[in-house]
Amino acid sequence: MSSSDEEGSGEEYLFKIVIIGDSAVGKSNLLSRYARNEFNAHSKATIGVEFQTQSMEIDGKEVKAQIWDTAGQERFRAVTSAYYRGAVGALIVYDITRKTTFESVGRWLDELKTHSDTTLAMMLVGNKCDLEDIRAVSVEDGRSLAEAEGLFFMETSALDSTNVIKAFELVIQEIYNNVSRKVLNSDTYKAELSVNRVSLVNNGADGSKKTQGYFSCCSG
Amino acid sequence: MENKLEEDDDHEPGPVPPLRLDRFGFLKPEISPEGLTKSRSAFEYDREERRVRKWRKMIGVGGSDWKHYIRRKPHVVKRRIRKGIPDCLRGLVWQLISGSRDLLLMNPGVYEQLVIYETSASELDIIRDISRTFPSHVFFQQRHGPGQRSLYNVLKAYSVFDREVGYVQGMGFLAGLLLLYMSEEDAFWLLVALLKGAVHAPMEGLYQVGLPLVQQYLFQFDQLVKEHLPKLGEHFTQEMINPSMYASQWFITVFSYSFPFHLALRIWDVFLYEGVRIVFKVGVALLKYCHDDLIKLPFEKLIHALRNFPDNAMNPDTLLPLAYSIKVSRGLEETRQEYEKKNGKGGQLPGSEKQLE
Repeated sequence: MSSSDEEGSGEEYLFKIVIIGDSAVGKSNLLSRYARNEFNAHSKATIGVEFQTQSMEIDGKEVKAQIWDTAGQERFRAVTSAYYRGAVGALIVYDITRKTTFESVGRWLDELKTHSDTTLAMMLVGNKCDLEDIRAVSVEDGRSLAEAEGLFFMETSALDSTNVIKAFELVIQEIYNNVSRKVLNSDTYKAELSVNRVSLVNNGADGSKKTQGYFSCCSG
Repeated sequence: MENKLEEDDDHEPGPVPPLRLDRFGFLKPEISPEGLTKSRSAFEYDREERRVRKWRKMIGVGGSDWKHYIRRKPHVVKRRIRKGIPDCLRGLVWQLISGSRDLLLMNPGVYEQLVIYETSASELDIIRDISRTFPSHVFFQQRHGPGQRSLYNVLKAYSVFDREVGYVQGMGFLAGLLLLYMSEEDAFWLLVALLKGAVHAPMEGLYQVGLPLVQQYLFQFDQLVKEHLPKLGEHFTQEMINPSMYASQWFITVFSYSFPFHLALRIWDVFLYEGVRIVFKVGVALLKYCHDDLIKLPFEKLIHALRNFPDNAMNPDTLLPLAYSIKVSRGLEETRQEYEKKNGKGGQLPGSEKQLE
């Protein structure tokens, strides 16, 4: 079944990613936009968990992302937090038109830290950036929270597709980088990763990383 | 005067919106599922007429004979309900078998009080989900229309009635389904009857903090699958599939979230009379029906298949008889004890013994 018969070129990767954030910020539509290029303005509230997979190619290798979309209402964390285990990437989503969803980001990060068992590639996602008229969270606020927490940051619109693929692919790429580093230098893996994150936060010494990390659809 | 003129006008009342709806009021998908669109034969029509007559006789005017009948011939009632309650009597019969009619009569004015004079901490959460509940049904489509207003009122009233439970996503599908068959106040009391356990085990544990009853039911369902379909259970274990990945919605919304509406209604007929056992039975029956396909699938395809059962598996006239043939009482009792032991609790869920009467 796997392509181990083809030496070297046929490597496969499978990464588990979770999408979390308050209710009605657009998690399910981000996922359906990414996995099926679909958007449903009248989608139902997610009950429990949903699941999609999507593949991309990195360095000639097939990388498959197994993405879990979770119910946002607080009450459901009792059953959804089980899905954080084994995740190597996370998108923490808020709605740029609702400040409360941005204020919850810290709690979602705590949840992740409590329940996940490995280092995660994490991205803060400000969704619904097509709704500029009723924006309630500035790009700057999003970006500085991401910097303070050592997260990637992007504003997206599942409605008009802005940055959706970029956001997912960046997370997947980062996971891939983490894993490659891990393979190359497994002893110092964690230390190195955290060093990386700090430099990303403080002074952006790693310039290429920084420009790669931040996208916003709405700031000039 | 003008109004009068309009009323007397013989013309068709305005242009009919070009919506293509199925017989339950849902927007039709491009390709209608088989069985819904088939026009009914004269034979079927006659049979339906005869059924309605029998039912009318059984319940009496406004339900006056119901209690008498059910005491004398419970097995007849059970058999008839399993064949499906006639759609035109569904709303009334649901209120009779769920015990909600009694609650309504015992609590005059309470609903109005809850809707008009009380405020709820969940109001914003409810509003956000209103347009995300049965979004393809004509009654709930119109923004701030009568359907959405009723749904809001019922959910808000419940969140005030039981502030500990408040509002939890999923409750909207219960309320929405009920509102298609009865008034707001009736729907509210039926919701109360279900969550507080007027006749069967209370459902409120599905919505309380920690979702304790969801966790218990998923554990029990997992065990039942292993008991009834050992090979498939083994396959699930190997593929690391567990019921929380596909069955939470089955319990939280009693199949009203994503199943074809005509099937959901038939399940609800039995659910209201026989209790949550039917949810387990239908779940196992679905897996049994699709057993030979499911057992070949790897993880991802398996999850997809478990969320998208084929049309033929969801035909109530084949699925429900299969479900009725599956015996779960003993299994449910044993797994409940096992679950309680595992979770080290003396304080079992209120009424959980009642469900297995």
